Amino acid sequence: MAVTFTQAATIRAITSSVPSRRFDNLKDATNFDKDEVEKVVRMAGVKTRHTADDSICCSDLCLAAAKDVLKTLDWAPETIDGLIMVTQSPDYFLPSTACVVHQQLGLSDGCAAFDVGLGCSGYAYGVWLAAMMLQGPGFRRILVLHGDTPTRFARQSDRAVALLFGDAGSATAIEKSGPDKASKWWFSLHSDGTGSRDLIIPGGGFRDRFPEDQTKHFVHMNGANIFNFTLKRVPALLNDTLAAAGVAKEAIDYFIFHQSNLFIMRHLANKCGLAMPQIPLTIEEFGSTGGPSVPLTITRGKLNRPAGRGLQLLLLTYGVGLSWASALLDLPSEAILNHVEVAAGTDSASA
Amino acid sequence: MNGMAMACQPCMNTAEALRWIAGLFEQDPEQVKAETLREEIPAWDSLGVLTLMAALDKKFGVLLGNGEISAMKSVNDVLEVLRKNNKING
Repeated sequence: MAVTFTQAATIRAITSSVPSRRFDNLKDATNFDKDEVEKVVRMAGVKTRHTADDSICCSDLCLAAAKDVLKTLDWAPETIDGLIMVTQSPDYFLPSTACVVHQQLGLSDGCAAFDVGLGCSGYAYGVWLAAMMLQGPGFRRILVLHGDTPTRFARQSDRAVALLFGDAGSATAIEKSGPDKASKWWFSLHSDGTGSRDLIIPGGGFRDRFPEDQTKHFVHMNGANIFNFTLKRVPALLNDTLAAAGVAKEAIDYFIFHQSNLFIMRHLANKCGLAMPQIPLTIEEFGSTGGPSVPLTITRGKLNRPAGRGLQLLLLTYGVGLSWASALLDLPSEAILNHVEVAAGTDSASA
Repeated sequence: MNGMAMACQPCMNTAEALRWIAGLFEQDPEQVKAETLREEIPAWDSLGVLTLMAALDKKFGVLLGNGEISAMKSVNDVLEVLRKNNKING
């Protein structure tokens, strides 16, 4: 598709969240021998990760983030017109996790709440949907929640994923802004279902409801095919977005990559002609948290924010689906960034 | 391609390519022959596949098809990829 744009929205605040439990790959990993762990840590760049226990779902992580955002902005729950929950690890098949969180936040019955089933590309899609909704009448404030708990669908004996994944949630508060005040946000959105089996939980859905093989309840990843996909798609995604927007690379303050794997990100940076200081990293501290790694990197990636000037960010999101998307947007200097931890034993749904 | 043959650039001969592959997997160049199998090279594991893909892209601008990745079972298969992409001239 062509690159599209919106001109109606402003980011007011982003809060990211992680479980408080911290796992140190070099100290705590016992399923693999030390040399193997060191090799994976060196290549993937994941030193520590925050992991959910059985009591923490993505709704709990996003709820904590959303509460923080509402409190920070002093937004009353009844002023929220839309709640978009982006996740691939929902609490239930039904109802949607958005409705679970809607109740927990005490939002009004005038609020549109729905799930979007996307993973690593999900943040750009969620922000695009919010921006589109805000271009029409009736919507003023939208929360984009993006959370995933990939450690809960990773088999601990699977070296390809066991040492890589962390869990995270996020809440992004987006508000309507008049066309005279809002800057243009550019989006490029893509899919290639031919790679749908390259990153898949094959069992548990209605295609194979109760598989005898219990490993089918866990994620299966063809790492080589996924890497191949990023090599082919991400540089074009970056270049096409900038070309459509008429923006030079030099005008971008930060390129926020989905934190997939340090080796892959370094290679992509080199291939795209970017210097690593332009690419904030959180993978060392948090691992690959799926799509929420993007808002997590905005809040925790040590972005230098000059007073009185917003930042131009190019978000590059890619993965399961296969699905990939960019968002070129501004982060106003007044936007509030925050980060919270969620203690184990937090089961907000039954609270 | 406008009917023109793709230039061999960068270009190696087979011996140079074998040394390049050995270096990639931190192997003694003497131990790496065309007939060497993937399982004989410890570093050519699942992470090694990513290393190889990145190196082919960075050095030669060669991107593989998914089928080509899974089909690479020996050093000769890597040489064939380079030949097919006109990166080996002898």
